[in-house]
Amino acid sequence: MIKGFYAAVSGMVTNANRQELLSHNIANLDTPGFKQVLVSIEDFMETGVASSANRYIGELGLGAMTTPEVIDFGQGALESTGNQFDLAIQGDGFFRIETPDGERYTRDGRFLRDSEGTLITTEGFSVLDDAGQPITLPDGEIEISPAGLITSAGEEIGSLGIAFFSDPGQQLTVAHGNLYSSETEPDGEGTADVAQYYLEMSNADPAQIMAQLMQVARSYEAAQKMVQNQDDLLGKTISSLGRLA
Amino acid sequence: MASSLFHALNISRQDMANRLIDLDVVGNNLANMNTTGFKASRANFQELLEDQTRSGTTLLNTQISTQQGSVRASENPLDWAISGEGFFQVELPDGTTGYTRDGSFKLDAEGRLVNSSGYYLVWDGELPSANVSLVVSSEGIVQAQTEEGERVDVGTVELARFANATGLLAQGQNVFLESEASGEAQLGAPGQEGFGLISTYSIEQSNVDMAREMTHLMTLQRSFQLAVRAFQQSDTMIGQAINMRRG
Repeated sequence: MIKGFYAAVSGMVTNANRQELLSHNIANLDTPGFKQVLVSIEDFMETGVASSANRYIGELGLGAMTTPEVIDFGQGALESTGNQFDLAIQGDGFFRIETPDGERYTRDGRFLRDSEGTLITTEGFSVLDDAGQPITLPDGEIEISPAGLITSAGEEIGSLGIAFFSDPGQQLTVAHGNLYSSETEPDGEGTADVAQYYLEMSNADPAQIMAQLMQVARSYEAAQKMVQNQDDLLGKTISSLGRLA
Repeated sequence: MASSLFHALNISRQDMANRLIDLDVVGNNLANMNTTGFKASRANFQELLEDQTRSGTTLLNTQISTQQGSVRASENPLDWAISGEGFFQVELPDGTTGYTRDGSFKLDAEGRLVNSSGYYLVWDGELPSANVSLVVSSEGIVQAQTEEGERVDVGTVELARFANATGLLAQGQNVFLESEASGEAQLGAPGQEGFGLISTYSIEQSNVDMAREMTHLMTLQRSFQLAVRAFQQSDTMIGQAINMRRG
């Protein structure tokens, strides 16, 4: 009886967790470079149950739990912005960003040329070149080729650093904002086309999110009803079982 | 994952508030579709994530688009448009210098050049009288035509440019102020390296791209709806949890 009660509650808790994550994905539907976070629900552990005559009957599930979060590194759509320091990566790889806590990786290419000419993120961190150094740009028009080569008036200035990981899902963890950190060095190979004047939009899909929202609402409701049922049963057991005549 | 439905509620609340800020920016851009020298702005939102807690989005900053607006011809010799980089300097009422791309000037009664927002142009020179016709060369040399039809140099107009013009602070009235992000103003004559040229009888139109703004408005509206939906759902779920106990 009590087992069923907690199993039903676990259904509510896991769906509350999903609701929080969905709200976060919804808030970031239009955030450039955002990668949606996915979780699903799986069986919690099982336990053996015995009959009153102490005979083994079978296994009983003890409820549900959320699986570990998975970041979906799928490509987001590119949107033209007309801004020369808006960059998008088409394909694999991440921009390399220098922060006080160490090197970080991002797909958010909203960059700026600061007053000293350094290429920075909107938060003010330096964008790194292929040698891991900050990039200093001259005044005027800057051109960035699909291969990441930066030129100004035909003169070569440097090359954007793109980090490839063999298994981004395993190697990258969220660090802060839209930046990912990695315990291991970039070790992968891949192809990346840098698109200047474009941003990569969020890869969260509103239609999919809507379906997930409905699923969460109904599962939560069902779990809540099950808790009530368990409670009713328990109440009946206490009040009527063992009463004489 | 430390989580609660109240946190989900908060994420959606912040989401809705941020979408409204974004709506303000888009609305302002659309309202200034036809404002001389207007530069569109963009609000930069970013994922809010601290200590592994996902909290929706946060507004990082707004940045202006320095894209050139298209230049259209006008009848007025005092309509000056800048083609290329640079801003006119204007004197604000509190004495500080503002920067604008709005070069629709008029002569006031005292013979000073004032733009459509009523700010005086900062330039190097003085007019002999208020009743002169003025011409400015593309390099910023201002000449006055005397009654005899002679042209005399009366001064020069310098432009101001910034290392990072997207970081200028919008002051309203189509005027920008320099900021830490933009860097200090560098002055120079039009046509010098890095500076644009002045053309007379010309007006630089707003650089707002209507198609882009309308598309943004549409996606914004849908995202807002989805945020409201998530908010209501979290609320319903909290209600269900509260009302779970009966009798």
